[in-house]
Amino acid sequence: MHNEASVQLEQLMPLIREQLANGQPVQFTTRGISMYPLLRNGKDQVILGPLPEKLKKYDLPLYQRDNGHYILHRIVKVGETFSCVGDHQYDYETGIRPDQMIAIATGFYRRGRYCSVNSFGYWLYVRFWHYTRFLRRFGNRLRGHWRGGILRIKKIFGK
Amino acid sequence: MKLKEGFILRTVAGETVVLPSGNVTNFDMMITLNDTGRFLWEKLESETDEAALVKALLAEYDVSEERAAASVQAFVARLKELEFLA
Repeated sequence: MHNEASVQLEQLMPLIREQLANGQPVQFTTRGISMYPLLRNGKDQVILGPLPEKLKKYDLPLYQRDNGHYILHRIVKVGETFSCVGDHQYDYETGIRPDQMIAIATGFYRRGRYCSVNSFGYWLYVRFWHYTRFLRRFGNRLRGHWRGGILRIKKIFGK
Repeated sequence: MKLKEGFILRTVAGETVVLPSGNVTNFDMMITLNDTGRFLWEKLESETDEAALVKALLAEYDVSEERAAASVQAFVARLKELEFLA
């Protein structure tokens, strides 16, 4: 007689867009690991509001790729188009047009606790996480080399 | 017994979905309804009780009274659990 949401979020996008057009914020649980550690796959909720007049660096918008996918990634460069990247990613996605933007994150629930994007803690996290991205990338490469080295040694010794 | 105010009821991808819409429209609170669920939902938009819902089901669908009563009871219990009822 009733079911917990068997309808996919993608199918609900017209309804989501309609709510936003009426100025009504929407909330849902996010999927994917690209915004980790801010948003954990299937665990944390984001609250999205209508787009502001201007999107700024560090804003977290929901946009639609030309292939139809809906993405929630952080703006790291603003020009005629935007560059965005997930908090758990290193490579920027460039050339995102303003017409692809749908909504902006105004807050989120993490471990059941609400956090506004206007809070100081969030302000600090966003900047710290962005400026240390290159360190994480370097660390990851180093781990990769280390693993690769061990594999090569194992190969040489036939183990 | 009646539904709270401010629900959105839509057909999405062939399914009837309802979700609460207060300060925020929360898609995590969304449930889908089948035909019977939708029928009962619409009855619950105005003041009613379980006995009246069972009666309405019996008038509309070819089901036994026992089954209708069990369906209504389960449906109402779930709505109460979700705090959808006023």
